Amino acid sequence: MTEVEYDVIIVGAGCAGPAAAKKAAELGLKTLLLEKSRTPGEKNVSGTCLNMAALVDPDLHYLMKGPVEREITEMHSYMITPERTTMFRETPSEGLILLSIRRDHFDAWHTEEARKAGAEVRLATTVVDIIEENDAIKGVITDKGEKLRAKVIIDAAGVNSIVGRKAGLIPKRKGTDMILYVTVNVHLGEKLVTERFRNSIYYFLAPQTQYKTWPWAFPKKDVVTFGTGGYLDDNLFKDGINSVNDYMQNLLDLPVIKEKIKGGKIASWGLHLEFDEALERRTRDGLILTGEAGGFVIPFLGEGMVEAFLTGIYAAQTAAKAIEANDVSAAFLEEHFMEYYTGNVFLQSFRYVADFNKKSILSMPDEEIAAMMQNVCIGGGFISNAIHYNWMKGADEDDMSLVQEAKDFYEFIQPYRQVGSESVEIYKKMRAEK
Amino acid sequence: MKVEMKVDYYPGDPGEFVRVDESKCTGCGECAKFCTRNVWVQDGKIFRPKNLKACVECGACWNVCEFDAVIFEEPKGGTGVRFEYG
Repeated sequence: MTEVEYDVIIVGAGCAGPAAAKKAAELGLKTLLLEKSRTPGEKNVSGTCLNMAALVDPDLHYLMKGPVEREITEMHSYMITPERTTMFRETPSEGLILLSIRRDHFDAWHTEEARKAGAEVRLATTVVDIIEENDAIKGVITDKGEKLRAKVIIDAAGVNSIVGRKAGLIPKRKGTDMILYVTVNVHLGEKLVTERFRNSIYYFLAPQTQYKTWPWAFPKKDVVTFGTGGYLDDNLFKDGINSVNDYMQNLLDLPVIKEKIKGGKIASWGLHLEFDEALERRTRDGLILTGEAGGFVIPFLGEGMVEAFLTGIYAAQTAAKAIEANDVSAAFLEEHFMEYYTGNVFLQSFRYVADFNKKSILSMPDEEIAAMMQNVCIGGGFISNAIHYNWMKGADEDDMSLVQEAKDFYEFIQPYRQVGSESVEIYKKMRAEK
Repeated sequence: MKVEMKVDYYPGDPGEFVRVDESKCTGCGECAKFCTRNVWVQDGKIFRPKNLKACVECGACWNVCEFDAVIFEEPKGGTGVRFEYG
């Protein structure tokens, strides 16, 4: 039997995989996309809402043509203590902030887009190992024993990717870099979801419902998805909490939520890990890690899908360059891949904001976190918090370098802050084209 | 509303994709502690993934095992957990 060699093989059809496969096929590369599930989006995936501000990136416009569950126009943040419940309602002036999606529908659509662009797609195919020769990654081995070779392998197989682990790039992780969280989908039917949740997302800060993170509720068409959990360390379970399900139970028992889900029933339950620090290395000879496999996720801000889409696309562009230059060395891949990555203002600003706020939250006692969250809610979110905190601290301590840092970052994110109304226009255009 | 672990699975045998390396397991029980689905069960001095059919492939056990005793591979193509709504 003759061995077929591909230009690129992409492992995993979540967010990064189809984006990479579509781009690679469009660039004329012989592309194979492998996915272990029967329908993409049905395995252990994370992420439920697309950020409209990020979709303004021309590389991502086409995603607005995908199956959307609900157009999100509002955000509610609840701060709940034994004494009182405080609610902040935010209605961004641009109107549309997020698109909520069902991953089993969206990833399947996205994979079909990659196939239409010319990528070969194989579903129900698990990658069990990599082919390694002279310290370079040359291909993958499937559960059916097939050896598939390519000039470049793009790993898009998620947080526990076997490709990244076998290649020695994904280590074991716990503590404050790894979040374990549980999700439930509560079925209410479209009418009740609209009546009770409107087109809003919800965040909740309440005792015994989370550990160093915060619970959320995202409405879809006929269900509402709730999520909560915490960092994977010894403090995850204490004070009567023996499982992440206990956090979820306490969340669903909050009076504000109990009322909203009355009469509903749990349609499905899920459990996920998310890693929220950069990996030390994302490349080896012949291999690029993207999306969650590459540590390109910011669970702190609920961002991961956009990082995955973009790093998938950048990996495909990098592979095309490498193949053209006949140089698939880690050094070449790393240089070009990271050049695309660091050139994206959205990704860089979100990473900065997440790092800053995460550091604050990890170092603060719960009461201070509550105070900070209040500022975040009133003061325009985490971005403002990062700028404001450095600015005030610098002024207070007479440290001009902190003020300068705040100022520099404020300047840096201006392009991103101005995209509000533009995103709605692009969305309308894309839906009309659909 | 009581939290109910409503999970769906594809038909078909996923294979023994989670295993214990008996020579490395110290019986510390971290795998069981962080397993929400009670897959890991004590068996004498070590732990085994006796309840593997309940696994939802989160990978917590592999990540928390400091002794490299958890072997966490992949279920066969088109088998294992199936999440509705993503």
